[in-house]
Amino acid sequence: MNSIGIGDTVDIVLFDVESGKIREFAVSTAVTDPIHTERDVARDAGFASLPATLTHSVVTGHQRDQHAFVSALGLDISRVVVGSVSWRYLRTLVAGDSLTATRTVIADESKRGMRFVTLETAFADAEGALVLTQTDVLIERAA
Amino acid sequence: MRPPRVAVVGESLDRRLIGPVSRADIVRFAGAGGDFNPLHHDPEFARAAGFDDVIAMGQYQAGLLAALLSDLFGVENVLEFGVRFVRPVGLGDTVELSGEVMTVTGVVADLKLTASVEGEPVVTGTARVRVQGEDTP
Repeated sequence: MNSIGIGDTVDIVLFDVESGKIREFAVSTAVTDPIHTERDVARDAGFASLPATLTHSVVTGHQRDQHAFVSALGLDISRVVVGSVSWRYLRTLVAGDSLTATRTVIADESKRGMRFVTLETAFADAEGALVLTQTDVLIERAA
Repeated sequence: MRPPRVAVVGESLDRRLIGPVSRADIVRFAGAGGDFNPLHHDPEFARAAGFDDVIAMGQYQAGLLAALLSDLFGVENVLEFGVRFVRPVGLGDTVELSGEVMTVTGVVADLKLTASVEGEPVVTGTARVRVQGEDTP
């Protein structure tokens, strides 16, 4: 049984973009551009603080209950894989940003015995402006 | 802002080799991103799921490709980035990151990106970036 369907909000996560976390992402993904870790470089490029790396929004994983939302979608977690993820950037996230991430179901289709659930997460800054959208396609393989 | 770089259709981006992927690499990324699925840190769980040992999370490979992209074009010039997960990456794998400029329209370029292990794609990606237009002096 699904308790949430198309158009419904899956979850809302509030988080702050932090310079220490930006460094963790830069180091763990082998980023070489010093703009993410050196304040002078960031400032010279016109940023008020350190810019986040491109997939920083993944940090919301720290605040989500994977099992809860998968079961709310009526999916069997042992058969679920992430098929694709995409990001659309309206501006660069920087340390000090306070963001609200609202995740919504935008599509739910069955093809060839598999189920494809598309989730879109809208990230808004403290002023309420949309700064980033992330789209995830979850695939539930046939039982 | 830093000036965008020039991109030419058909241009191959600088390749990057990452690895061999270690347990520490996977755990370090788990700590950064918050993915504590046991498939990525518990060898027994991973074996029960049919793998030889723990596997990396798709977001690790996505992050490696994103790093190549932003290191080459500048994080502030990336408009869109997308990845499709083709197959898992395991311990000891060396990931080769590559990319190509597919189209350039004015100041926007579309790129194709690939992460592969032993010549087989593990993640395929696309990106749209701001570049220096051809008639920009």
